[in-house]
Parts: sequence; C-alpha cells; structure tokens
Amino acid sequence: MKLTYIEEANELLANLEISLLALENNSSDKTCIEEIFRVMHTLKGNSSMFGLPVITDFVHDLETIYDKVRSGEMELNKELIDCSFLCLDHIKVIIYDADLENVVNKENHFELLKKIGGFIEEAGSISVNEKKESQAVRTVYVLFEPSAKIFDNGTNPLFLVSELASMGNSKVVPHFKLSENQAHDECFTYWEIFIETDRSENEIRDVFVFVEDNAEIFIKELPFKNVLKNKHFNDLVSKNMYGDVGTNMEELVHLLSDQQNNEPVADAKKEVVIETDVSEAGAIHSNKKVSKEVKEKGATSIRVSSDKLDELMNLVSELVTTQAGLTLFTAKNKTPELETISENVEKLTRRLRDTAFGMTLVPINNMFGRFQRMVRDISSSLGKEVEFVTEGGETELDKTIIETLTDPLMHILRNSLDHGIEKAADRVTKGKSPGGKLILKSFYSGVFVYIQIIDDGKGINVETIRDKAISKGIIKSTDNLSDKEILDLIFYAGFSTAEKITDVSGRGVGMDVVKRNIADLRGNILVESEVNVGTTLTIKLPLTLSIIDGLLVTVDKVNYIIPLSVITKCYSVKNEDMANNFNRLLTLDGEQVPYINLREEFGYTVQGSGETLLIAVNNGDRVVGITVDMIIGEYQAVIKPLGRHHKKQDFVSGASILGDGTIALVLDTNKVIDLYTNNIKREEKTWQLN
Amino acid sequence: MAVKLTKEEKTGVTTSFLSFKLAEEHFAIEVKKIMEILEVPRITKVPQTPDFLKGVVNLRGGVLPVIDTRTKFGMPQVDFTVNTCILVLSIDINDETITVGALVDSVSEVFEMEEKHIQPSPTIGARYRSEFIKGMINEKDQFMMLLDIDKVFSAADIETILETHNEIEEAVAE
Amino acid sequence: MNRTILVIDDSESIREVITVGLQSSGYNVIKGINGADGLEQLRQSQGIDLVITDLNMPVMDGISFVKEVRKDANYRFLPIIVLTTESQETKKQEAREAGATAWIIKPFSKEKLVNVIKKIVR
Repeated sequence: MKLTYIEEANELLANLEISLLALENNSSDKTCIEEIFRVMHTLKGNSSMFGLPVITDFVHDLETIYDKVRSGEMELNKELIDCSFLCLDHIKVIIYDADLENVVNKENHFELLKKIGGFIEEAGSISVNEKKESQAVRTVYVLFEPSAKIFDNGTNPLFLVSELASMGNSKVVPHFKLSENQAHDECFTYWEIFIETDRSENEIRDVFVFVEDNAEIFIKELPFKNVLKNKHFNDLVSKNMYGDVGTNMEELVHLLSDQQNNEPVADAKKEVVIETDVSEAGAIHSNKKVSKEVKEKGATSIRVSSDKLDELMNLVSELVTTQAGLTLFTAKNKTPELETISENVEKLTRRLRDTAFGMTLVPINNMFGRFQRMVRDISSSLGKEVEFVTEGGETELDKTIIETLTDPLMHILRNSLDHGIEKAADRVTKGKSPGGKLILKSFYSGVFVYIQIIDDGKGINVETIRDKAISKGIIKSTDNLSDKEILDLIFYAGFSTAEKITDVSGRGVGMDVVKRNIADLRGNILVESEVNVGTTLTIKLPLTLSIIDGLLVTVDKVNYIIPLSVITKCYSVKNEDMANNFNRLLTLDGEQVPYINLREEFGYTVQGSGETLLIAVNNGDRVVGITVDMIIGEYQAVIKPLGRHHKKQDFVSGASILGDGTIALVLDTNKVIDLYTNNIKREEKTWQLN
Repeated sequence: MAVKLTKEEKTGVTTSFLSFKLAEEHFAIEVKKIMEILEVPRITKVPQTPDFLKGVVNLRGGVLPVIDTRTKFGMPQVDFTVNTCILVLSIDINDETITVGALVDSVSEVFEMEEKHIQPSPTIGARYRSEFIKGMINEKDQFMMLLDIDKVFSAADIETILETHNEIEEAVAE
Repeated sequence: MNRTILVIDDSESIREVITVGLQSSGYNVIKGINGADGLEQLRQSQGIDLVITDLNMPVMDGISFVKEVRKDANYRFLPIIVLTTESQETKKQEAREAGATAWIIKPFSKEKLVNVIKKIVR
C-alpha cells in the first residue's frame, strides 16, 4: 500500500516540478498555477488517505500559498518559486520518512514550514481583497428528465431535485409522462426547475453528475430577474404542472420580455441576446448532445501497468510468428478459402501489431522535463547564464529506450554546461551574448528518431583533441586522421578533455559509456563542432527496439536478417571476381566499394565459382558490400534477445523466430564491419611481425 | 575436500534427481533445476562462438541457447541419436536466473534420495574440476556425479572452462 | 433515524479512514474486506441503506460485487457508491453499467464523501 502511495507521489512530484519550471519562465501562466494547485491538492488528499499527517499538513500549507496566488491575493516572485523548489525536494525525501525520524529531515521540515508560514502571513497582511467573487443572482432554468430505468441503480431523483431546489429560491414543476402500460418500477416523472441562485452552471450541473448517462439535463440562464414572484410566470408554468407537456419556452420568454420591456431595464442589445436565447432554448436536444461530446473527449487516456504492456507485446510477437507460420502453410496447401483467411489474419495481425507497438511509445517530453531542473541547478552552481530550450518533446519513443537514454543525455547536457558554454565574461569578450543557449531537440526521420544537443559554447578544438590523443597513446603522431575522425576520439574509453576534474562532469568515465549505452539501443552518436561557435551532438535511434523490417537472407543454410534501413541496393557478383581480390574492392555502379564475404568472415567454406549476392549497406558515410548466398525476401522481424551466452557476438543484435519455428539471426551490419576491420588490422599486425 | 552442500541441503529431506548419460558416464541434476526436456529441434549456430555453444533454438517463441555438454566436458562430439535431447535448465548466476539448454546423450531416470546419502566427490584422480561437482551419488550400484549446474552452464565461465580442459589433461597426465 | 452504510475496501487503513469519517457524521458503519465478504455482510445485516465499495479488491472486485448485488431482487434499488481513481475512467463507465449509483474519485475529503452520500440517501 505504501508503495502505491510513493509511486503516485513521485509521479505527482515530477509533474509539480515541470509546472514549477514552466511557471518560472512565465510567471503569469494561469494554467501552470492551476496545475500546481491541482497536483498539491491531490498529493495532500493522497497523503491524508494514507494517514501521513506530517506530509498532509506540509502540503496543505503550500497549497494555501498557491491558492492565494491563484486567486490573485498573492504575488508570485522568485523567492516563492525558489522556496517551492526547496519544498518539492523536501517532499521527495519525506515521502520515505513520513514521521521525520531523520533529524536532518526534521530540522529542514520546520525551517521550511517557517518559511511557508512567512509567505502566508505576508500575503495576509497585504491582501484585504474579498474572497471569491460570487456570481450575481439570476434565474436559471433546469430541465431534469430521468430515464425510465433510473431507479435500477439505486438513484432517487427526488433527492437531486431537492438538492437543486436548496440552492436558492425555486419553483419546481413536475411533469408526468404516463402511458398505458406503465411499469410500476419505472420513472415516469420529469422536472422543470426555475431557480434564483448565485451558483455557477458547473455547480448546478454537479448535482446531476451521477445521472448524466441516465437522464436528460438541460440548463439555461434566463436573462430576467424576479421571475418567481411574477404572477404571469406562475400562471404559465402551473398550467402545465403534472401534465405531459413542458413549459413552452418561447411563450415564456415572450411573456417575460414583454413585462421587462415595460420596465426601463431592457435595451436593444438585450433584445438580441434574448432572441438567440430563445432559439437555443428551442434547440434543447442538439445543444445537449454537443456539450456532451466535448465533455467526453476530455478524458481518453488510462494508465496501464508496464507488466501488462510487456505481456501484450509478447503475445503480439507470438501472434506475428504464428501468423507467419500460417502464411507459410497456406503457400504449401493452396485452397481459396484458406488463402482468404490467411490474408485476413495477416492484415489483422499487422494492424494489431502496429497498434500494440504504438502503445509502448511514450513522448520524450517526460524525460525532457527532468532535464529542465537539472540544467537550472547546474548552470546556477557553475555561475553561468544558460537558456535551455527543448523542442519536439512530443516525439514518441519506446519506453525502454527512453529509460536507457536518460543517463547518457544527462551526461551530455552536463558536459555542455561544464565545458561547452563559457562564463558570461568570456562570452562577452568573444562578442557573444552573455547568456549561453542549450537546445535539446528531438524529431523523426524515417524509422529513426533523432535527438540533438546543441550548444553555442566554445566548441571542441580538434588540435587539442589530437594532441591529447597522442599523449595518451590512443593515436600516433604519424596517423593521418580527418577532423571528423579526431572528434570521434572523444568517445574513446578513458578520454577526457576537461582541464580539471569538476563535480559536474566527473571523471574520465563519460562519453565512451554514453556511446556504448546508445549502441546498446542500436543507435549511434555523432559529434560536430566548430570552435567558438558551438557543438552539436546527434543521437540517432530506432523507433522501437523489438521489431524491424528486414531482409531475410541465407549464408550456408543459416538464416540471417539484415535491417532494411541500412540496405541501399542488392547486386549479383561473380565469385571468381572475389576469389583473388586482395584489396577487397568491387566496382559497383562505377564506384569502388569495399566488401565483406560473410562466408569467409563467419568461417563457412568459401565458394570459388558461380554467383553470389551482394547487399550494399550504409556504414556511416560510406557504403560497404556484404555477400550472402540467397535472398529470401522482406521479413518483419520481432527481435528477441540472444541472451548472455552470446554477449560477445554483438554483431548479432538478436534473433527472430521464422514462420516454420526455426531461428534467424539479426545482423548488426555496422558491428560486422567493425569486426572485419579489426580482424584486418590484426592480420596486418601479424604480417608486420612476420 | 568437503562436499559442497549448504546446511539446508544436508538435512534429512529427500530430493529428486534426474540422471543422464554422456558417453559412458552417468551424471545427475536436481529435478527442481530442470524446467523441461526437449527433443532436439533445428539448432541455429551463431558464428564465431566457441565449440561448446551449440547455437540457439526456438523455445515457445523465446530464444534458448544450447550448450554442447559433451564439448564442455572435453568429450568428442557425436551425431545426434533418437535418444539425444535437450535439458532445459534454470540456472542462477549473480542473482539472475537464466534459462539454458544442455545437450545430453540420453536421459536415464528420475529418483529420490536423501541429501545425507550424497557423498563427497573424490579429490584425487577426479577428471573434472571439483567446483563443478556437488558430490557423488550411488544409485542402484551406479556411481554418478551430481553437477553444480549453476557453475557448469554459466556463460561467465567460458574462459575458465577452457582452462579446465587443460587441467583435465594435466589431471589425466598425473 | 441514523442511516447504515456498508463500507467495503481491502485496505484496512482506507476502511478505517472512511469509517471514522462516516461515524463522526452520524452514520452507522458495517465493514467488509472484499466483494464476497461485502455480499455476506449485506445478507446478514438488516437495513443497510447504502454501500460504499472499492473497485480493486482480491477475491471479488467491486464491479463483480455491484453485479452480484443487482442480481438479487431485494437489492435492485440499493444505492452503491464506488471508489475509483482519477485514471480509471473506463472503470467508472464499467461500474456505472454494472449498476453503481455514484462514484467518488480518490483521494477524497470527508466533506466530499458526505456530500455525495446526501445526494443518494437522506
């Protein structure tokens, strides 16, 4: 039970943090204040339900402040926001220590309470404003027509009518709709209620909140005063009392407006209003329908536990596999009926799969929100002015990817703040604005999601990196590397460019771990930088981890899947052209393309004659050919992990189960190429030794 | 050297064991570690893996790595027979439970035995490294080795197993 | 006359919080720990005027409980309030269809609870 509370509290606190940060940027944002108030209110309620008075009271005091801010009684200032952040952090701690057993927490708690109390007092002395401005008294017409079956769920409509009537002076007009075969346990009454009240329409509607589906409810303000005492009004409505027919609104409005026209209250403007009101009142039904639709659109999301989601994914994966089996069987046993069924199953499966996988996608915003706070704290601790901008937060990614991505991104952001963006003074001497800018943005491109971290800081000096890499023995001074290759060295294990170790970006562990984490997600990271202009890191990730569109191929009777996303073209080449090819280059479409013979690479017997298929794949900026025996066709592969026994074979990113139940291995072509390149280097070394 | 059993295991409770054969030798595994026994399906070999990693198979929609137990124990590989099967084992490595398949020549029988009847494994003249053997069992006059499968089939031990091969040779040479 | 309310929730603390709130407002309270127990209580005790039940409970959940109650002709018109969380919009719908009279979104204050009860029983 406590767990549920903590889980929910953490979620609420995360929302609170996002809203507070938003509020800090735009202190006049009413929706933020409302949201903050709402979250605090829920948190308070939760805490009280779970019997945690310390937290309940604390949040209550905070809530009081924001209630005052909301009503305009209190002004929002930096001090208050800073205090709110402190309180937020404190609540994060005490949800685990609700009895303040920890002395530090206790001290902190009372200090903060004092602070909050100060705010409340201050507000109290300044503001002499009235409490909530209440709505003027006017006449409201309410039509309440329960369905015949309303008693069935235990509702007594009379209570609702009397609750409504208690809101002010009222005239209740009951109507009966008797029919010949009226069942004794059905409701045949409906009510018209005229009420003079200062309550809002929402408050009135709230009376009927539980019977919305079981009754027709129509609420309309009448632009007339003192209606209930009007004799003509009373005559008109009483005429129909207990009858089947309701009040003729047109007649009523005419009657009343005639009356009031004689008084000097009404003017031409009002006349127009009345006109429209009449027609609206006439269109009771259509009006109600619309408002209902709008209402129902509001809440369309539900929370599902991730376990259930995972289970759903597994089932869908199995279904995809089973469906592939059906397709295969159908191809072998052709019957028209079976073919139709199989096609339909295939279509449905694909749709189900797309929908199911769509569900595991969550907007990246959740993660971005967390960074707002971190950037704020770090930049202020470093004494740097930084404007942090996030874009494309609505971009959706697999939830597992988002979870794994948080740490690497955090590290990159820290680096940018610490080493990238200069101090204000340095920036000014360079002719830049004193405040730095850090952009975190995300966008789709094809089946990939890109995340970019862009700063306008000092950039990375290629020469510095080069010297450092040489001094660390990572490269030789004679190595001829392009600027891009040199920049890539920052991802090399143990490479750190920080002149001194700071708290913020820590020790040398860093970019290599970042790169590895991203590679684990089948993504990659690219760095571009220009001195004194800034640095851009681009992370490219697959949309989802568990399914890919691939090309099914065989090499020595083993099935492999190559992701379609990396394939540029397929060619047919002669084996003899490869047999004595020492520089490992083939001319394809007039271009020299390096290639890898998978048979050779994977230790199968190499064929000397005949033809082999060559698949051209993208590898960073270049194209590399990979040979296979046979191409079977396109295949939608549900990727399953190979498990730790095959951890070292990272060029196989997973396995997929084919329709016939056998396993195909999914190739990570970039890793295959790396492996090959490393082997070649090793061979060269051996050759040099010899 | 003492039997590698915890105190708990030494109490009088009976445990079920499954015995199986590799070449002419008999081994036993606690039944609670065995999830199921499979006929050998088509195995997909992952390239560039050590010989003892036979490949992967489809186990009800999941991927099961299969270990060639013969190779792991330094015995020559043989073709599969009708009796060859895969024991699906649940093994614990560093607080993590994983599932692996172990190829064996044939499964013999399931029997019950009190833990106290398990004898310590002989330290002298043993063919296998003692840490992989939990003890010796004498069931119906048949001696068999009780394996510590968490150690035998863990992936982390790839290197040590390779060393084991040398040790076996050394042991044999002694 | 004091109204009698049956409160069904598997969480003892929530049961207690509600009970204390109701008793201090002048209601009699009978408690049930899940849907099945609630049914038992309902049949054994005389004169229950209203039931307040949680939705997620072991043995018999709130929805099944409401359905069971409505099956019994004696309780066709018995008011039932279900306790739900904000995120359970579909649950609310389900409960309504099963025959619940009203619902209260957790967390709630004593005032809110009493206000809702007053809509249903007097």
